[in-house]
Amino acid sequence: MDVEYDVIVLGTGLKECILSGLLSVDRLKVLHMDRNDYYGGDSTSLNLNQLWKRFKGDETPPAHIGASRDYNVDMVPKFMMANGALVRVLIHTGVTKYLSFKAVDGSYVFNKGKIHKVPSTDMEALKSPLMGLFEKRRAGKFFLYVQDYKENDPSTHKGYDLTKMTTKELISKYGLDDNTIDFIGHAVALHKEDNYLAEPAVDTLYAESVARFQGGSPYIYPLYGLGELPQGFARLSAVYGGTYMLNKPECKVEFDDEGKVCGVTSEGETAKCKKVVCDPSYIPDKVRKVGKVYRAIAIMSHPIPNTADSHSVQIIIPQKQLGRKSDMQLHLQTILGRLVISLIITNECPLVHTRYVFCCSYSHNVASKGKFIAFVSAQAESENPEAELKPGIDLLGPVDELFIDTYDRFEPANNPSSDNCFISTSYDATTHFESTVMDVLSLYTKITEKMVDLSVDLSAASAAEDDF
Amino acid sequence: MSTSRRRTLLKVIVLGDSGFTSVLGALVCLTLVRYVHKKFSQQYKATIGADFVTKEVLIEDRLVTLQIWDTAGQERFQSLGVAFYRGADCCVLVYDVNANRSFDTLNTWHDEFLNQASPSDPKTFPFILLGNKIDVDGGKSRVVSEKKAMEWCASKGNIPYFETSAKEDRNVDSAFLSVAKLALEHERDQDM
Repeated sequence: MDVEYDVIVLGTGLKECILSGLLSVDRLKVLHMDRNDYYGGDSTSLNLNQLWKRFKGDETPPAHIGASRDYNVDMVPKFMMANGALVRVLIHTGVTKYLSFKAVDGSYVFNKGKIHKVPSTDMEALKSPLMGLFEKRRAGKFFLYVQDYKENDPSTHKGYDLTKMTTKELISKYGLDDNTIDFIGHAVALHKEDNYLAEPAVDTLYAESVARFQGGSPYIYPLYGLGELPQGFARLSAVYGGTYMLNKPECKVEFDDEGKVCGVTSEGETAKCKKVVCDPSYIPDKVRKVGKVYRAIAIMSHPIPNTADSHSVQIIIPQKQLGRKSDMQLHLQTILGRLVISLIITNECPLVHTRYVFCCSYSHNVASKGKFIAFVSAQAESENPEAELKPGIDLLGPVDELFIDTYDRFEPANNPSSDNCFISTSYDATTHFESTVMDVLSLYTKITEKMVDLSVDLSAASAAEDDF
Repeated sequence: MSTSRRRTLLKVIVLGDSGFTSVLGALVCLTLVRYVHKKFSQQYKATIGADFVTKEVLIEDRLVTLQIWDTAGQERFQSLGVAFYRGADCCVLVYDVNANRSFDTLNTWHDEFLNQASPSDPKTFPFILLGNKIDVDGGKSRVVSEKKAMEWCASKGNIPYFETSAKEDRNVDSAFLSVAKLALEHERDQDM
């Protein structure tokens, strides 16, 4: 292997595959390797045999669950917001044409001991028991204001100057109570933690997402599971000349005297390169642990109770509903001329997190006929995964099989400008992809010193949806 | 709802051994490009930037769009993911009549397809076989005979066989028309 690659990418997780695709399209010479003999790394989807091998060792899956190949069990379960960053990347790169999507049936929130549907239309909002009658009217007006707001059209500002007015003042004009702010923040604005002050607001408007697909939620999900996504981006990379090698043991990153990356060795052969992009597992001495995710994976023969028999749902259990103390406020910010909602916590409780429940079924080709797969995930706060996941597991009803798993999350601890190693951050416990894509885009910019223009025509995704 | 729903987009995947060089792979692509664009170019090297080609074929007053996928080179190091095989309506196997090895690996590709795509009816799933590059050296370098290829096809449940030359446009049209017909018939059987 005397040829020198511009970039060697290690690991075929979603983040690495998106980067590989973008870099190949930029005409960089890319070699992409993975130690596993399948695509997806940590974000793969496993069939039953692979699932049992990972969690139960030598046992074989019971026959009554169905055929192994019918299953595509996501290792990092998430839904895609129909107008979210990942869909924008899919359209930008044209990878939509390799995949088929279906709308997700519903999005729910756990409030006061019950599961409630997050309203996806004005009508649903008016029917939802989540808010009192007067509160609904106020929230409806507030949503309408946010939806209609255009930065360069003062007639949509209703006399409020948001450059001067604080979010708190605006919200007080609409008289929303704490419960509503909690609901909007977690279920609608979809932030994973409550301390957003330091983070840029990147959320997308729920209302805009809902309007795009005729589903009961603002989410879509690919047929055959999320493991299709990295493969779609890998194909893009290959189409633009990227070289693919799975099942490459070791993949040792080599450095020169100055500590800069210079190649990758596998099976005694070293491929030279200028830069390395990888997930944290390939360079363990350049990453640090940032947390732990607990998750439960359940195979069931019924949908999650109280979700109107939905085949695909998410349920968000906001931390407040678990008896935790928090003090939240909504934050509004204009991005690209649109008003964006986010949520800010003013009372620090840095270790409290939301639980996410995610369910998918054979209708998305991820399980045998009649079977459902549910996931509960949470950022670990204690050493007791069962207890932490219980609020979510309790919502599932009887299960055929249940796996409890723990994985550590890492973030890079190196300085890419001095060693040319670009390491992604481990996937978080949220049910959506916004933080995933933000990590990819920021790595892309560090690698190429360019920005990805994601101002794409979102109707392209709707058109792709219509094909199927 | 009954007849209006009929799908006319067919996914066709092309598999074949590229050997240690990607010459045959490029030839397969040439075959496809030739088929779609009706224009042959010696300069056409690989499939860079071309993910799949589409071709419309009229069969019994029905317009059928063939979406022809090649491996984009991912087969070179056994790195084709299962997503590539999803929802395939027909599989085109290609070998080089001048290279024994490419003929010998047809069994592997045939099995690999059935294993990865796992169609519900492996015995009747539509395959076709293309023997490519028959024009090389006026046919003198040919090592796999038509008879041998036909025997292989018979042993796999009478797979239709075509000999093609991307360069001379021989048989390419009829081969792909056959692909479309087979896939359509198969789909009708599935609907019943």
